[in-house]
Amino acid sequence: MAHLSFAEKHRIPIYDDPAQVQWGLVAFDYDKCRRCGLCVQICPASCFEAIEDKPRMKTPAECMMCSDCVAICPEGAITATQNFHYTGRYKTIGFGHLQKPRL
Amino acid sequence: MGRQGQIAEELHKEWTETEEVILKRRSVRFYKKAQVPEYMIRRILEAGRFAPSAGNGQPWKFVVLREPDIINGITETTVTICRLFKSLIEYRIPGKRWRLPIAKLNIRIKPAELHPVPFSACTLIADRALGLFHGAPTVILIFKDVRGISNPDLDCGIAGQNMVLAAHSMGLGTCWVSFSKLAFQYTGKWKKRLGIQYPYKFVTSLSIGWPVGDPDGVIARPTHAVDWYEDGAKTVVH
Repeated sequence: MAHLSFAEKHRIPIYDDPAQVQWGLVAFDYDKCRRCGLCVQICPASCFEAIEDKPRMKTPAECMMCSDCVAICPEGAITATQNFHYTGRYKTIGFGHLQKPRL
Repeated sequence: MGRQGQIAEELHKEWTETEEVILKRRSVRFYKKAQVPEYMIRRILEAGRFAPSAGNGQPWKFVVLREPDIINGITETTVTICRLFKSLIEYRIPGKRWRLPIAKLNIRIKPAELHPVPFSACTLIADRALGLFHGAPTVILIFKDVRGISNPDLDCGIAGQNMVLAAHSMGLGTCWVSFSKLAFQYTGKWKKRLGIQYPYKFVTSLSIGWPVGDPDGVIARPTHAVDWYEDGAKTVVH
């Protein structure tokens, strides 16, 4: 079982350093996207910006991989590609790959 | 085939209705203005009332808010507090790097409240880029009875999840909103306005309304390492 070391437990990561806090990532399929803007509207972390109605992820985007955008997209044009990963005090422990519910 | 065998066979083919609600439920942060009928909220409260709790203590108090003035007022108070916090600890904006040691000290004092996610959310709420109740016409505040058995926070969470799942099974949208705690933790204004006093303490709140679009759906989540003890051996399954 993975654990936190003493050093990790007491180190506060720098939140805008990608080496210390890795945020989630999603990818857009612009052939499917109808530019409805729902994803931009509902993202709790304001991760998206619309350039001429075309949504894309801001840099940096503080995505916590809630996947609400993936679920709400009426065209299924958004895919989650990378989960979040934190280090130090907030180190993510025991996380596997992204998977849909398994029957 | 016995009844148990039949059930097992069915389960291999499809999710139960309850599982579907659980798996498809997503947080809703964009609501229509139309109010939710009163009887639906009453039904949701019934789902909360029948939640299990330690020693059947039912250590909760629900407050239903359907007055925009109160919902907006709590939002404004929370935005004000977030603004104050942002001005103290937000080090990620150009020219404000000197706030980093102050931020780190605060994170050390309140590590759960200032995890990277709420740290960012605090800034977004301060900038009004993230709404608090997201325009929901109904809000349910959940208070715990601090004299509750064992762990009243947990019992409030169980009751809350009952209500949330009931709401989604009816086609409504919900969102757990705990940032509203700031309005009760750092000011007395809303406790006074709503008549909240000992032994009640704010735990969390739920925004409820008709969603814009169709936000519920199946998504991918990371698997988690689960330790499994059986037949004298331990395996780790995901």
